Amino acid sequence: MPSFRDFALPDLGEGLTEGEILAWFVKPGDEVTLNQPIVEVETAKAAVEIPSPHAGVVSALHCAVGDTVDVGTPIITFDVDPGGAAAPAVDLTTSEASIRGGDLVPSEPGITGSPAPKAGSEEKIQILVGSGVKASKLTRRARVSAEPKPPAESNGEPARRPARVSAAGVGAHAERLADVHALAKPPVRKLARDLGVDLQVIGGTGPDGTVTRSDVQAAAAGGAAGVRRVAPAPDFDPATREQRVPIKGVRKLTAEAMVASAFTAPHVTDFITVDVTPMMELVTRLREHPDFAGVKVSPLLLVARALILAVEHFPMVNSAWDDDAQEIVVKGYVNLGIAAATPRGLIVPNIKDAARLSLPELAREMQTLTEVARAGHTAPADMARGTITITNVGVFGVDSGTPILNPGETAILCLGVVRDTPWVHEGQIAIRKVTQLALSFDHRIVDGQLGSEFLADLAGMLADPWRLVNWRSQ
Amino acid sequence: MATITLGKAINEGLRKAMEDDPKVVIMGEDVGRLGGVFRVTDALQKDFGEDRVIDTPLAESGIIGTAIGLAIRGFRPVCEIQFDGFVFPAFDQIVSQVAHMHYRSAGNVKVPITIRIPYGGGIGAVEHHSESPESYFTHTPGLKVVTCSNPADAYSMIRQSIACDDPVIFFEPKRRYWDKAEVDLTAELSPLWKARVAREGSLATVITYGPSVRTCLEAAAAAETEGQDIEVIDLRALSPIDWDTVFASVSKTGHVVVVAEAPVFGSLAGEIAARISERCFYSLEAPVLRVGGYSTPYPTSRVEEDYLPDLDRILDAVDRSLAF
Amino acid sequence: MPPMAPPETATALPPPQPSEGPDFVQLLTPEGERVTHAQYSLDITDEEIRDLYRDLVLVRRIDSEATALQRQGELGLWANLLGQEAAQVGAGRALTDRDFAFPTYREHGVAYCKGVDPVTLMGLFRGTSQGGWDPQANGFGLYTIVIGSQTLHATGYAMGLQRDGGDGAAMAFFGDGASSQGDVNEAFVWASVFNAPVVFFCQNNQWAISEPLERQTRIPLYQRAQGFGFPGVRVDGNDVLAVLAVARAALARAREGSGPTLVEAYTYRMGAHTTSDDPTRYRVAADLEIWKLKDPIERVKAYLSRTGAGDAAFFASVEAAADEVAAHLRAGTLALADPDPISIFDHVYAGGSTLLDEEREQMSAYLASFADARH
Repeated sequence: MPSFRDFALPDLGEGLTEGEILAWFVKPGDEVTLNQPIVEVETAKAAVEIPSPHAGVVSALHCAVGDTVDVGTPIITFDVDPGGAAAPAVDLTTSEASIRGGDLVPSEPGITGSPAPKAGSEEKIQILVGSGVKASKLTRRARVSAEPKPPAESNGEPARRPARVSAAGVGAHAERLADVHALAKPPVRKLARDLGVDLQVIGGTGPDGTVTRSDVQAAAAGGAAGVRRVAPAPDFDPATREQRVPIKGVRKLTAEAMVASAFTAPHVTDFITVDVTPMMELVTRLREHPDFAGVKVSPLLLVARALILAVEHFPMVNSAWDDDAQEIVVKGYVNLGIAAATPRGLIVPNIKDAARLSLPELAREMQTLTEVARAGHTAPADMARGTITITNVGVFGVDSGTPILNPGETAILCLGVVRDTPWVHEGQIAIRKVTQLALSFDHRIVDGQLGSEFLADLAGMLADPWRLVNWRSQ
Repeated sequence: MATITLGKAINEGLRKAMEDDPKVVIMGEDVGRLGGVFRVTDALQKDFGEDRVIDTPLAESGIIGTAIGLAIRGFRPVCEIQFDGFVFPAFDQIVSQVAHMHYRSAGNVKVPITIRIPYGGGIGAVEHHSESPESYFTHTPGLKVVTCSNPADAYSMIRQSIACDDPVIFFEPKRRYWDKAEVDLTAELSPLWKARVAREGSLATVITYGPSVRTCLEAAAAAETEGQDIEVIDLRALSPIDWDTVFASVSKTGHVVVVAEAPVFGSLAGEIAARISERCFYSLEAPVLRVGGYSTPYPTSRVEEDYLPDLDRILDAVDRSLAF
Repeated sequence: MPPMAPPETATALPPPQPSEGPDFVQLLTPEGERVTHAQYSLDITDEEIRDLYRDLVLVRRIDSEATALQRQGELGLWANLLGQEAAQVGAGRALTDRDFAFPTYREHGVAYCKGVDPVTLMGLFRGTSQGGWDPQANGFGLYTIVIGSQTLHATGYAMGLQRDGGDGAAMAFFGDGASSQGDVNEAFVWASVFNAPVVFFCQNNQWAISEPLERQTRIPLYQRAQGFGFPGVRVDGNDVLAVLAVARAALARAREGSGPTLVEAYTYRMGAHTTSDDPTRYRVAADLEIWKLKDPIERVKAYLSRTGAGDAAFFASVEAAADEVAAHLRAGTLALADPDPISIFDHVYAGGSTLLDEEREQMSAYLASFADARH
């Protein structure tokens, strides 16, 4: 039974990728013995004889003298069991096949006589030691998909590659760390620091419980519609029925600042209750005015305006106690802070030089400030160098409070809810829109009289809002 | 217990190794009659004879090459290369032969050779006597590399290196040869392949080895007076490295500085930094910083103290790490 | 030796020293005639000469079969020893079980004489191993590719023999090119100052790849030894009887404690440096013709035929034995399988390494992650 074996042009150890057939020593039908020279191939200006790898009968030659053949291409087929029935041989021989008889040199292969280099043959690179350069990979090998590929995250995080062994150490290690550190990559940690976000209390939604950029941004926004609360639900230890929350990060810093403020500056709070019905009517009218188109107008805007005007009348309220220099620094500008309560804690971004802004400009600034704070993008610079602050507890439906001074400031105004209230108006009981204002101040700088006069002045502007109206119409 | 120098501790370790195993031979230039240029092999030839403590020809490649032949014959050679800068003539025998022989022979040939090399600077020497070539050898698979920093470790580690069936490059911090400490020669030997927490701390991790360990401990002591609590890790084994001890410390502090005399570029310190970044990514509050030699040949002795990592440079790096 | 005239220019060197002369030990001429030598003689029977003949033929056949295997793509590389059979068989048969050979990478004939199965050598050339054999099994060291390194290993081994009372000797094999290497000269220093029982056996085959002998030395190589303080002798490297006699004498000297000897076996590399080399680029066919007339096997065959010590039946039996060893080599080589990729981590250290354990696991998992992974 014929048994056919192909023989492909081997890599002859010279970094060969192809070779040129110089001469065939056999033709189909010839009997050949093992190691009998069968073909001469050109490599790098020298001819190399290839000895037969098989004993048998040549059944076909697959290339002709003069052909350039790639390494790995079958050049000859042998029937190594020629006793069997003949099979049709593929005949590609050419009439130029030559047969050389005994050589001048001993029959040991590898010993060549004087070469006859082909004219115009290309210089090939010889590699002296080894089986030569392998062909490079051009396509990727298919991987086993152990888990479905995660979809690319819509918030811009890159799709995470499935964990491999080299990352497994990271994952396992990361899990051990989870109770010691919040897991977050350095850029996310920087973002958290910039936004004043405490990584420890964020539930990370990233792989292995890591905190992602969007987790931090969401946490910093806080308070606004639809934003999830990121403080974890109480996780009481069943044994003690207590939960211990570490004092870290922003909470710790805020607490320290508050303590410093509260126990350095003697706080006194004055209260006034004022009928702001006309002010609320003004708010409505301003909302309809073209100069306020597209911008939010709220009572807070007019309270802010009143505060700024009151500061003009009583500048000492807009100051700071410089203990090191033993001086009170009275500020000639108003950097108006608007306290924003977020689940992260209090942040107080301020509008720089608010006194120079027109009412529409002030409205725009306040709106921007609020939106930026909600998005978690308040820059540290926006929270620095405030001179006076308003805190609005009215949004929570609360009447009033005794706010703590923003450190470095002398006064803070607390605006309460505007409530329909029975009131004495022009000698009669009427339902009026009434609110409470509270002013806490540093008693070292502001004495009772000043504080009261300031507050009364401010309240008076809200009761009689025509005193606020002095902008230049477009 | 005895208070002995680091050099003497090695001497004691060599002596014990020679006593325990008759196949141990010591060979190198001037190791016999002179007892070594640093006296580390002092009195050994007198007690063990010229056949076991061999004054060799002045030929480093020959020292290592013949040691290989001795190892094939069943001996356990301890070679001395007189100074770090003179290891290079032997470099080929070390990396092409010593490092490869077990692998080449599919495990049939063991090469239990110890190659002792005094290294490092700070001794006011001329060229080639202050090098830190350890990175060439940690970079060579098939070798193991260790370095001691104190007398107790010197004693314990030389004995274990000689007993190890693999080739060990044993780096001796020459400027610490005269450091003294109490050494219990009868104590159990501490494991060769484990790093040592030389000083506990929680603020920052300083990873170091060899001559720099003492410098780092001095820096940590100075930092303590300023309220900084620094942990110092003495690696001891440079290849393979005890990563568990390193990672535990990094997880604790989050701030890492690697200190070694060798030029930083392309050094072992770079591998340590890279591996920590990969494995402790979420622990790091700052990138891993490296303090070491500049990318210059080792400078002339009058300015070497400005080249070598010293207390101020180490603490400066700690400060920079903390500032991130 | 006639004194050499100084060259007129830096590049105009005199031709290499002639091979005839009183310092050239020969006991069997190229024509197959026994001759005597004042210093070296050989007590040898016809049967032993027949055995030597068989060794020479089989060694040549192993070499040519391996070359063919390379041309057929079964080996990546082969280092031919064609023409050097007598040098290697003469030295190889002088070695006893007590002696240890430190080869370069061409001593397939010495390996054969030391009882190493030729298939054992093939892994290195096929790329399935880097050697892998146990030197202690046959007293035959691993092939060393860095030129000259093994001469120091041999010297160290000899120093070990001195220290543990072993009664053998070491034999370091190297070539004319290697004699320029620092390590070889250091080995000469060490062997001489320690009087080590090592024989330095240099096969001067006239070529270091493409560089001729005169690029390695200005004097005959065997004379180098004098500069180091031990004897050197040049022998006709194509005369198996002379090589055997000289090698035996040198080994005896070493074993009895008289120290090293440099033996220069003057021969010719009839083939290429390796199968990747093309010698037609740097030497002429005429040189080959001269050396063909000094063929090491032909002269023994001529001697056996002329004296009747070898008849047609004998020669036929040797051919048959050659065919057998060639078939054995071929079958064994083709059976050498590619190693498992994960095996690259084996045998780096006797004592293992945590880093390697980790890397091995990583590679294992990585390989298993492919859809077409072999399991």
